[in-house]
This record gives sequence, C-alpha cells and structure tokens, in this order.
Amino acid sequence: MSRNWEAHLPAALLAFAASAVLYGLIPAPNTVVAATSRTGEHLQYASPIELAFSHNGRLLYVLCQGTDELRVLDGITHTQLKKIAVGHLPRGFAFSPDGSRIFVANSWDDTISVIDTKTQSVDATWSVGAEPSSVAEDPSGHFLFVADRISNDVAVLDAKTGAEQKRLAAGRGASYMTLSPDGSRLYVSHVYHNTDKPRTAPHSEITVIDTNRGIVDTRISLPYIAHGFHVAFSTDGRVGALAEMHPKNLVPLAHLEHGGAFADTLTLFGADVGPKPVEVPLDNLEQYAARPFGVAITPDKSKLFVTCGGSEAVLAIDLERLLAYIHMHKQPFTEDLSASGNYVVARITVGHDPRGVTLTPDGKQLLVANRLEDTISVIDTHSNRLVQTISLEGPKRLSVLRHGEQTFYSAKFSFQGQIGCANCHIDSTFDGLQWDLEPDGFGRDIVDNRPIEDLKGTEPYKWNGTNPNLPTECGPRTEKYFWRSETFDDLTLTDLVTYIRSIPARPNRWRLPNGEFTPAQERGKEIFERSVDRFGKPIAETDRCNYCHSGPKGTDQKRFNVGTKKPTDDTGLFDTPQLTNIALSAPYLHDGSATTLEEIWTIYNPHDKHGRTNDLTKDELNDLIEYLRTR
Amino acid sequence: MTLLARATGAIVGGFLFIATCGFRTEEANLQIPDYIVTAAPIYEVHAALKGGERFPEGAHLLLVHNGKAVPLAPEFAASADAAVNFDAKKILFSGKKTVSDHWQIWEMTLADHSVRQVTSGNEDAIRPLYLPLGRLVYAEHTEQGFRMISSRVNDTAEIRGIDLPGIPSVFPISFAGASAIPDDVLADGRILFESEFPMGKGSIPEMYLTYADGSGVESYRCDHGVARWGGQQLADGDVVFTHGTTLARFTPSLAHEAKIAAPAVFYAGSIQEMPAGSWLLSAKMRGSAKFSIAQWQPGTSTLKAVFEQPRENLVEPVAIAARVRPKRHPSALHPWKYANLLALDTRLSRDGALGGVPARVRLEMESREGRAIVLGTAPVEQDGSFFIQVPGDAPIRMAVLDEKGEVLRQERGWFWARAGEQRICVGCHTGPERAAENRLPEVLQKTTVPVDLTGSTAGLSSGEGSHR
Repeated sequence: MSRNWEAHLPAALLAFAASAVLYGLIPAPNTVVAATSRTGEHLQYASPIELAFSHNGRLLYVLCQGTDELRVLDGITHTQLKKIAVGHLPRGFAFSPDGSRIFVANSWDDTISVIDTKTQSVDATWSVGAEPSSVAEDPSGHFLFVADRISNDVAVLDAKTGAEQKRLAAGRGASYMTLSPDGSRLYVSHVYHNTDKPRTAPHSEITVIDTNRGIVDTRISLPYIAHGFHVAFSTDGRVGALAEMHPKNLVPLAHLEHGGAFADTLTLFGADVGPKPVEVPLDNLEQYAARPFGVAITPDKSKLFVTCGGSEAVLAIDLERLLAYIHMHKQPFTEDLSASGNYVVARITVGHDPRGVTLTPDGKQLLVANRLEDTISVIDTHSNRLVQTISLEGPKRLSVLRHGEQTFYSAKFSFQGQIGCANCHIDSTFDGLQWDLEPDGFGRDIVDNRPIEDLKGTEPYKWNGTNPNLPTECGPRTEKYFWRSETFDDLTLTDLVTYIRSIPARPNRWRLPNGEFTPAQERGKEIFERSVDRFGKPIAETDRCNYCHSGPKGTDQKRFNVGTKKPTDDTGLFDTPQLTNIALSAPYLHDGSATTLEEIWTIYNPHDKHGRTNDLTKDELNDLIEYLRTR
Repeated sequence: MTLLARATGAIVGGFLFIATCGFRTEEANLQIPDYIVTAAPIYEVHAALKGGERFPEGAHLLLVHNGKAVPLAPEFAASADAAVNFDAKKILFSGKKTVSDHWQIWEMTLADHSVRQVTSGNEDAIRPLYLPLGRLVYAEHTEQGFRMISSRVNDTAEIRGIDLPGIPSVFPISFAGASAIPDDVLADGRILFESEFPMGKGSIPEMYLTYADGSGVESYRCDHGVARWGGQQLADGDVVFTHGTTLARFTPSLAHEAKIAAPAVFYAGSIQEMPAGSWLLSAKMRGSAKFSIAQWQPGTSTLKAVFEQPRENLVEPVAIAARVRPKRHPSALHPWKYANLLALDTRLSRDGALGGVPARVRLEMESREGRAIVLGTAPVEQDGSFFIQVPGDAPIRMAVLDEKGEVLRQERGWFWARAGEQRICVGCHTGPERAAENRLPEVLQKTTVPVDLTGSTAGLSSGEGSHR
C-alpha cells in the first residue's frame, strides 16, 4: 500500500502543479526548468524493457535491464514474487513452447540464461554470439534461435544443450524476433540498416526463418527503413506489423516541420495486407510518434498498439480501419501526414521511454514497460485509457544520470516532438547514416554519424572539430540546428552531458580474454605502429597510424587533412576520430564514403595522406583490420 | 458617454441577456475567471487586413469581474487588444492617450494598473501578443497595410540578457506587401496570423504561420477558399477560428478544417478557452446587433450569455489566467541578405498533376508599387528539384515553366523568405500534410550552389527588372 502511494505521489503532485499553472493558481515559469530535483548518487534502477505473462497468465515476467534481472510478479496483483539474476544488460527473453523454461538474451556478456520456471532459477548459462538481443525456440523444441546484434546473424542452437549448430546471415543489427502464431516462421528485425552505397536511401529487411528446417526462408525488403524493432502478429497470422523508423537523411535538415527528419511508421504484411508489405505512417501534421518500438495486436484483431519511446506515449490503432485505409488508398502514403488520422484512434501518455508490451491473456489490458521510469503502464484496450501504473521496486529518487538518460531518450524538446538524441544514436550508439546538416549549406559537408561510446577524452566534437565540448555540442548547436525549438535548461543540459559522458564502450568482442593478441592482431599492431615501410623506407612520424590515432582512445584530438576532402566539403581538416569499437560503426571517414575499413586505404588513400598504407598487401591490410577490431 | 457611464452600463448590461434562439438566459457563470474585453461602438472585423481602422468610433478595455465591468485604462482615449502575459501579472494592449494619437503598444501591471509605453512610432501599432522571454509581436501600419514586428517588451539589460545573441531589439517579421495581423502564439512558438488569401493578392481572410523570427511562413492548412479568422489555440493543440456564422478547428490529424457544431450565430473570433473547458466567445444573433460575450460548452447546443453592452460590441475576450508559455524559437538565420530555397519536386501538388514537364522556375518579386518584377529563371531538374537564391525579406513568388516558357503552375499569392533563411519546399503547393521523401535531389547532385535569382548580379534593385 505504502509503495503504491509512494509511486503515485509524484504523479499526483505533478498533476496538481500542472493544473495549478493552467488555472492560474501559481505562475507559470518564465523558463523551462526541470520539475524534479536530482541526486548525484549512482542509483541502480530496474529499467524494465520487456515483459510477458506466463502461459497460464498467473505470472508476469519483467526483464529489468538496469538490475540484470528477470523479475517475477503476480499476474493479477502485480506483487513482486522473485528476482532472478541473469547476465549483463539483458535485452530479450522468451518461453520454451511448453512454458517450462525461459531463455534470456544477455546482450553484454554474450550469454543466454536458461531459467527453469518451476524453480524460478537459472539452470544453465550458454555462451552465444556477439550481443544477443532476443531469443526464440521453435515449436518442436529442437532449435533455439538467437539474434546477434553485432555479428548480424541468427545463431541456431540445440535447444536442449545450447550447442551452436549454425548461423544464419541476417541483416545488420539483428535484434528482435517474433514467431508467427503457428510457429512455422520466425521474423527477425534489425536496428541498423544494411550498409549500401553512400548517399543512397537506407533499407533494411525482415529476415524470415523457417523454424522447422532452421534456414532462411525469405527476406522481406524494407526500402527506406533504417531501424526496425518489434514485430507483432494477429492471432490468425494474417497481419504482421513491424515498428520502424524511416529517416530523411538525404534531404538537408533545414527544418523539422512536415516530417523533416524522420517518419515513424509501421510496415504491415500478411494475407490481409496483400502480396506486398505496406508502410504506414504514425505521425500526423503536428505531432510525432517518435521511436516506435513495441507492438501488440489484440486477440480479437480489433486494435493494434504501438509504443513510441521518444513520445512517451502509446498509440491505439483501429486495425480494421487501418486495413481498410491501405486497401482504399493508392500507395505509397508514407509521406501523407494526414493518413494516420484515419486509423490512429488514441494517443495514451505513459512513462519515460516505453518499450516492450504484452497483452493480458484475455486481451483486455495492455501492459507497457516504461524503461526509464521503472513503471508498468496498464491500458484498458477497450477504452484506450491508462487505468493503472505499477511501480517496480527500486530507487524513487531521480539521479543526475537517470535524468540525463531520460532527456537523451525523449523527443519532447524538439519541434513538435519529432526527434530526440536516441533517434540517431540507437540505444546510445549510432545509426550508420550520413546527414546533410543545414548550417553548412544544402548538399555540403555531409557527415557520418559518429558513435558516442566512451566519449570522455575525445573532444573536440563534430567532424571539423569546432565544438570544444559536449555542452556546446548538445546545447546551442542542437537547439538551433536539430531540435529547432527551445531546448534544455542548463541543469538538464548538464545532466544530459553527464549521461553521455558516462556511456561506456560496449565490450570488445575481438580482444582475447587474457589481453593478448592473436597472431594476426599482433601483426596488425606492428603495422599500426611501424616506422618503416615494407621497402625499408622510413615513414615520417606524421604518416604513421599511431601518430594521429594515439592515446588510449586512438585519437590525438587534433585535426588533419588526410586527403579525404570532397568537392562539397568546406574543409579538408577533420577531427581524428577515436577508434573505440571502430569495427562496429561502419561506414567510415567523415562522410561515410568508405563502407569498410579496407576501403579507407584501398579507395580513399591514393596518395598516402591518410598514413602510409599503399605499400601494404591485402593480407597486411587484413591484419591491420584485425588489430583495429581490438580497439 | 463617459467611461464611468460606460462602466455602469456594463455592470447593468452584464445581467441583461438576450433570450432568443441560440442564446440562453442564465446568470453569469462565476467559474469564469476575470477577463478583459474590448468594447467598441463599431467593430470592423476585417478592416486591419485592408490597413484600415477596426474601431472607427474608438474602443476601450473593460475588466470584467464576476460579470461586473470596470474600465481598465480610463486615462486612455482609446484602448483595445488586451494580451495577458504568461504569469497573468501584466497585459499588453494598444492604446491612444489622446484621440489624435496613433495606436501604440503599452504594457500594464495588473496589480496597480501602472502603464508603460512599449512602442512610440508614427504609425498605428496594434494587436500585441507576448512572445517568450521578453519579446512581443504586434502589427505596425505601413503603406501596404499592417506588417508584423518583433520587439523586446522592454529594452533593459535584463531582457537583453535573456534574448538570443545577435537578435535586434526591433525587427519586422512579415514582408508580403499585405497586412499580417497576429492572432495567437502557438505552444510550439510559431505565430498564428491573419492575412488574405492569396497573400498580397486576394481578399479572403486566411490564417498563416511563421516562426517568431519571420522564417518558415506558410498557410496553416491549404484547403483555402473559405474566409476564416480569429484563430486561437486550445490547450489540446487544436486551433479554433470562425467563418463568421460558424466555428471550425484545425486539428493535427487533418489536412483540412473540421466543423464545430456550435450554435448558428455571428462570431467575432478570438475564442478563449476557460479552465473548466468552456469557451468564452464574442457573438451576436444577427448582423445588425452588437457582439456580446457568451459562454459555450462544446458539445452543447446553446450559448450562455454572460456579458453585453447595448450600444457596444464586446470583442477579443481574454482571460486573466496564467498559462504555460510557448516555446522560444531558436532563430538560425544566417547573416545574409538573401535566402536559399530548395524545392524537392515541383511536380507534386495538392492541385493535381502539372499539364507538362517542368523545365524552369521563374522568380518574381513585388515592387513597392505592387508590380511583379521578374528576377530570372533557374532550371528544374528531371526529378522536379531546383535550388535558387532569392532576395530576403521581400515579397516573392514562383512559377513553374515548361521548356517553351509556358506557365504550368504559378503561385497565386506572395510569400517571403527571411534574409539568411534556408528553406525546403516539398513540392508546389503540396500542403503541410505532405512530408519530404528521403531522396537526394538531383539538383544537389549537380551543384550545391543555388542559382542566383536575387537580382544582385544584374545590379537589380527594387523597381527594376522586367515588369509583368
């Protein structure tokens, strides 16, 4: 009881304060200020990201990314029953077909926790591929499929032993998987787009796996889609829906109105949709559905719900009207911001960064995991109203880091709530896209989006190195040229910057556990540090890799002309990028023109201005790459 | 009639109600907070759009408390256009100290009714609205009607300190050679204003938007043709306005206006949403009557009369209530005299397909005398894109031509781009509902240098060039 009161008190106070301001009881602030004071403590929040009911509906399992736990709640009363410790940064979980086991994908330690649902304890921990993000077992219980975000594949394991049998090539950033209702197919979505030629529209795919044979059955092409998240099906399997983001990175980012930066969309597919998938917009003329993520379709097929992490809202869609709309209107209509008014029937405000969803077994309620609020929103699927907010056990104080992270994942600071930091820094990483920012002139100074892991000590920022620190990068510049709207107050900016500076590097998968190098990595390291070329000629100090890419982060934090200036660039002087997890963040160079590390030297370094590399053989370049992967 | 007599009339009139169809006789609703109205014997609702006087026989502000009215600025010969600031402690209004004065903008502290002059020009200045962080927008009379001006409320060190760096104290933000009258400042920071459609050429009142620095001017919606005015934003984000005898709204999910099932009377516009959700309206039963103040609960069929003056129109009701202030627009204008315009696909339009293949775009500028000056043409690429440099802060319009130079489509009115603005058009009158495709425009694959249509290369200045 006291916990519930505690959970509702801040909301009640906030509601009172908002009403008081609206009705003139207290003056509205003259500046936008954060409503809640923050503490400098390092607090461990639950950060629920996915949730699901047990097969009999009596238990509710909540995957808590912040505490590395699967929490077990009573399915009716929502009382917490148990916490099951799993691996680091769990991202997805699934039940075995008979409900006797739960598999948890632990994304940062590359393992699967196997939980016995009778004992509610971890039975086994299986090692798998790089950054496992979701897991699914086929109906026959033979295969366990694991989507690996970094290795861009789906590992097929023996469901009994966890032994890897094979890997299926998926798209880039394979992350979320959903079984078709009959279990015969597994639908895999991807958080990054498939790398292609520079300055072309991104595209992604849904990789469809035949679960019986353990092979890729087909690939549903997703033109223009850069980031895909959850898929949901109607119970009859005739409608599938993918939550996704459709960036506008080829158009100069001159303003945000009229969907200037992103379209937030669904791709519908299946027998009720027709022979081809159909992309449908979720945004409208003045309100965006920023970062759609979780999807659910009610058992009676009447409604589709989609969480919008950046908008801190859930959209309720009348599925019948949506299907009627797509059949009555000529495609494409992704660019029609008035389309969604025909099928979006409600926008329900929930907590910070809503992610995964699940329906109660009777379909009457939708539960939403609010990752950055440690709450679960309960929505009545008939009335489309929020009926309850369940507070998860954890700190009730708001830390600086938490507030900074909430700010990072919110779209509310941008014009009409279209974008937030996390739109381009997917899960606090990067997006693999190149953007045409307005202040440099249309079509000029195209910039690749750089990763933001472990940024401390890599300043200055921007490719031209003109932003000396993060407060400048994230403050006035972001306000003017990204948000196009009044942005954070100073305290919120400080919290945001504190959070960004705290983002750690993902575990490096190429380093050996003992800290030693493989022979190829060792050879690559020697090339990286060499002072003499293969012909015995001394390499000038400034032409050595480790001259600019020096220090622990692989940057001397200075600008150089490495001969990569394009006619559309205003300068040839570029900031030396850090090498942290460089293998993950293709494409490369300031404008993303090199689709691989090798292309940096084989295509874009004809005169050795980007270090002496033209004397290297193919094998030596491979060795150099092997070494760089360890950075 | 003295102000005191008027006030007495107001007090009495506040309890005299019109008991006819549409209006319902009832005691004043005490839930209505204090509000201010402009009282005027004659109210020419659209006069300002023609550069004329809305209150030819004067006007004065009344403060209404529990249905009782008192003059708010009795020392003024005329006062109108009250706008309450975000913490409800001050108001801006337009006023004349003496009958022969021009309308100027004043600020009053509500606690003690002390006033301070904000503008002191030689032309009328009307319809002030507060902008965030110490600025206001108002309309200033010019030879070509009223133009909108952004100004600091007070040019003090404190306000200079919170203003954006490099922003002048006072600067114009509308340049269409036609009247632009501010209606409201939206929550997203944009200014909702009235002009005519087509802008600078037509006679139908229409609503437009611009950012607070005058950039990004556009129609609110492109279902043009019906006169609409008096727009106000509600707390839910919808904008409500009047056609005269009906009310309608713009709502974010629709590309066209939506009807409001309100009683069929004459509305003056400027609808005020009350805290409890009812609306305060200026309305009258018939054309010859005077506007009075009524309360309406959306969804009901009758208006509840709350305040009337037999011989005066009561218009522009504004509640004295604090509200969340709109967001400040972070101006990103470059220090240029020109603007750059990139059109993504001129073939796209809500007006239907073009009658031919677009080959060139022609830019025209309107001279002070109202003549169209051709500034030149630029190629249109096969994908319909073009990239041009245009004069900043001047009325311009474009026409799409085929390879023979025949006009395929032409803008009906004038618009402007701010000096230093870089703007993208999705198509040729595609409407705000049309978002950009994610496609690299062909013109940017050829060049990143816009075709100079500013007239500057030919030494052209206003009044020169080939007149059409």
